[in-house]
Amino acid sequence: MRRQLAALVSFSLTLTGAAACGSSGTPSKPSPGQPDKVAGAVIAIVDVAPVYLGKQKGFFSQRNIDLSLSTSQGGAAIVPAVLNGQVQIGFSNVTSLLLAASKGLPVKMVCNGVASTGVPDKDYSGVVVKAGSPVRTAADLAGKTVAVNTLKNIGDTTVRASVRKAGGDPKAVKFVELAFPDMPAALQAGRVDAIWVVEPFLTAAKAGGGRVVAANYVDTAPNLTVATYFTSAQLAKSNPDLVKRFTEAMTESLRYADAHPDEVRQVLGTYTQIAADVAAKLTLPKWPTDINRQSVQTLADLAVGDGLMDRAPDLSALLP
Amino acid sequence: MTAAVRRTAAMLGLPAVLVAVWWFASSGSTDVYRPPLSRILVAFRETWFGRRLLDDVAPSLARLAVGYAVALAVGVGLGLVLGSSRPLRALTEPVLEFLRAIPPPVLVPIVMLVAGIGDLMKVLVIVSGCLWPVLLNTVEGVRAVDETLADTCRVYRVGGALRLRHLVLRAASPQIVTGARQALSIGIILMVISEMFAASSGLGFTVVQFQRGFAIPEMWSGVLLLGLLGVVLSLGFRVVEARVLGWYHGLRAAQRGSR
Amino acid sequence: MSAPAIGRWPGLVGLLAFGGLLELLPRAGLVPAGYLPPSSRIARALADQARRAEFWTALGDTVRTWLTGLAIAVAAGLVCGIVIGSVPALRTATASTVEFLRPIPSVALIPLAVLLYGTGIRATLVLVVYAAFWQVLVQVLHGVGDVDPVARDTALSYRLGRWARVRYLVWPTALPYALTGVRLATSVALVLAVTGELVIGTPGLGREIAVAQGSGAVPAMYALVVVTGLLGVAANLVTRAAERRVLAWHPSVRSEVPA
Repeated sequence: MRRQLAALVSFSLTLTGAAACGSSGTPSKPSPGQPDKVAGAVIAIVDVAPVYLGKQKGFFSQRNIDLSLSTSQGGAAIVPAVLNGQVQIGFSNVTSLLLAASKGLPVKMVCNGVASTGVPDKDYSGVVVKAGSPVRTAADLAGKTVAVNTLKNIGDTTVRASVRKAGGDPKAVKFVELAFPDMPAALQAGRVDAIWVVEPFLTAAKAGGGRVVAANYVDTAPNLTVATYFTSAQLAKSNPDLVKRFTEAMTESLRYADAHPDEVRQVLGTYTQIAADVAAKLTLPKWPTDINRQSVQTLADLAVGDGLMDRAPDLSALLP
Repeated sequence: MTAAVRRTAAMLGLPAVLVAVWWFASSGSTDVYRPPLSRILVAFRETWFGRRLLDDVAPSLARLAVGYAVALAVGVGLGLVLGSSRPLRALTEPVLEFLRAIPPPVLVPIVMLVAGIGDLMKVLVIVSGCLWPVLLNTVEGVRAVDETLADTCRVYRVGGALRLRHLVLRAASPQIVTGARQALSIGIILMVISEMFAASSGLGFTVVQFQRGFAIPEMWSGVLLLGLLGVVLSLGFRVVEARVLGWYHGLRAAQRGSR
Repeated sequence: MSAPAIGRWPGLVGLLAFGGLLELLPRAGLVPAGYLPPSSRIARALADQARRAEFWTALGDTVRTWLTGLAIAVAAGLVCGIVIGSVPALRTATASTVEFLRPIPSVALIPLAVLLYGTGIRATLVLVVYAAFWQVLVQVLHGVGDVDPVARDTALSYRLGRWARVRYLVWPTALPYALTGVRLATSVALVLAVTGELVIGTPGLGREIAVAQGSGAVPAMYALVVVTGLLGVAANLVTRAAERRVLAWHPSVRSEVPA
């Protein structure tokens, strides 16, 4: 009996010890003279190459920011992580942030993230159909099934905008949710009629014989701001200096990335599984330093029109 | 009369207190993630009583029912075969132990490869998870058939289907029902998880969409609904169990009472 | 009944036969190799994984989540079980609440956990602790309630104090049940830990499986699934061995179970 008790006690002590060694995730208070620890949550996609490049080039450490980046499978978990302080900065597409703000979640954009190239046949996103498909333009998508990576988000909103612009009925398009990597196979197998993909899957889909029928980001608004970096309103109010320094570093990173595409293609390999030959061929997005406020308004109006939210949030509180 | 009143009071007392505490503690809440209970209940009524019941809840439950039934049939059938044959059991035991230990949700990506993203995938996922408790418990139950009863059957030349029904299945049924109960809770979990990947309708899908769209009260209402579903199915199972195993419960009660 | 002609290690033969089947089916083209790679390729992918540092980190993360959640659940379950079980009034008051909360599928908590805790280990721990806790609690409640009335009366008439009663009466009776609860909780905790990693994205084997599936690395995905299965088998063996050691004095272990 005593041996059992001893075993039980030592077992539980070991476990608590092991658990205590676990990572906590919340950064400690900055001590004077030490750089501020900032944890950022991003998705391992082409769009966030500037922040990795900027970190590599030291733009953040120059401004006394010790930046650590973690990747998430999807944007839906990044907003809660930012709001409960698990990370300080997040990366999310504009529609998600609009949705969050409309539900009363205190998010605040700090800096631009990524924008569409604005050139119809040279964008980093598109709607692809199988070779030999009867779909020729976006208007033909009415009545067909289109796969997007998240429903009720920027994917279906912008595809509907393309359909509307081409003269089709946006309400007649059926959307189904699929992860980007699963889309090319589903398209080939005929399970969906069209897929909305971004790089690197766009290059892969085209290489598999697919045909681009719509450049949905371009059709939605000129120079559409697709995603931005954001923080919680609480952090913006309590530590505006940190947010300002991060924004400056990020702006410099965006400018550098836009001007040095080759280095961007190189840094892709450090945080994604994209093969080097694919990275050399894919279309890069644009990284302007400013958020296109008009396009954010357009996305908000589209979201309200498509029924994603009842009314647009207060954009002045959301935008930096 | 007072005994019945006391029993109902005992049954409803603590839950009522907990619900009241939740109501009052959250009533003034401005935290976006923890809305007042009143809002959650309003969202519950608005969200689930309507087209959604037909469009999302019914298909999910139908898939659960089909998957569960298939798992029961295959599990009991296979378990009967394996349980009656010692060499077969020895041959297959490590393989089954290994397959059983794989967490069922992990099989979802594999099943997605094979069966695509439609109803077949979801049903297969449910079957793949529900099968193991039923199979292994059936094997245990068949193995533990009382020797005396088996000999009696042999003496009286009771064989074939009659023996199967009255001796083997009857004796193994308490164990099989245990397995079926475990399979039911696993089935509910898998029904929800199979809809979190690549779905376009269903209960789990709807709740996840609420979470992604930050529709917090609706999400809470979905969580409540899932909880209620678990409870209702468990109660229903208890009713069926009481009918099927009535003889067993009576036997056990008599044994315990004589102590 | 002829002796099994398969030799002294039928289980091993079964395993090898299974592996051989998995090798032949894809190679013969009966199953598309894209869906089910031959077992030799899976084995090679497993060896490749073992060379990656990320694999071992993920394995460590899974084990840490699993054991932490298990420890919390077992501790809480033991304490609550003994306290509730020993006080009859508490038992009747909480019975309905326990029966209501128990069948709630832990996956219903996933959206809540993600909203409240993001994707860190705490979100998955919510799932693990919730599911494992009930396994332990229910078993301990049974155990505490199963105390032999004659033994209890004897203890009372010898005026054994409350603490002595717990130590000599309640604890030995409840221990087999508690260990069954721990065994059940161990496998449930592993399943939920991997599920949480798969669905929520907490670092660990489950997330590696999702990433492998997302990158189209099918052999790697199968290799990781094999690893989770092996973890489950190992856990099962360890808990059964511990049960036999700790309960060496108990008649259920000492008596021979008829084959």
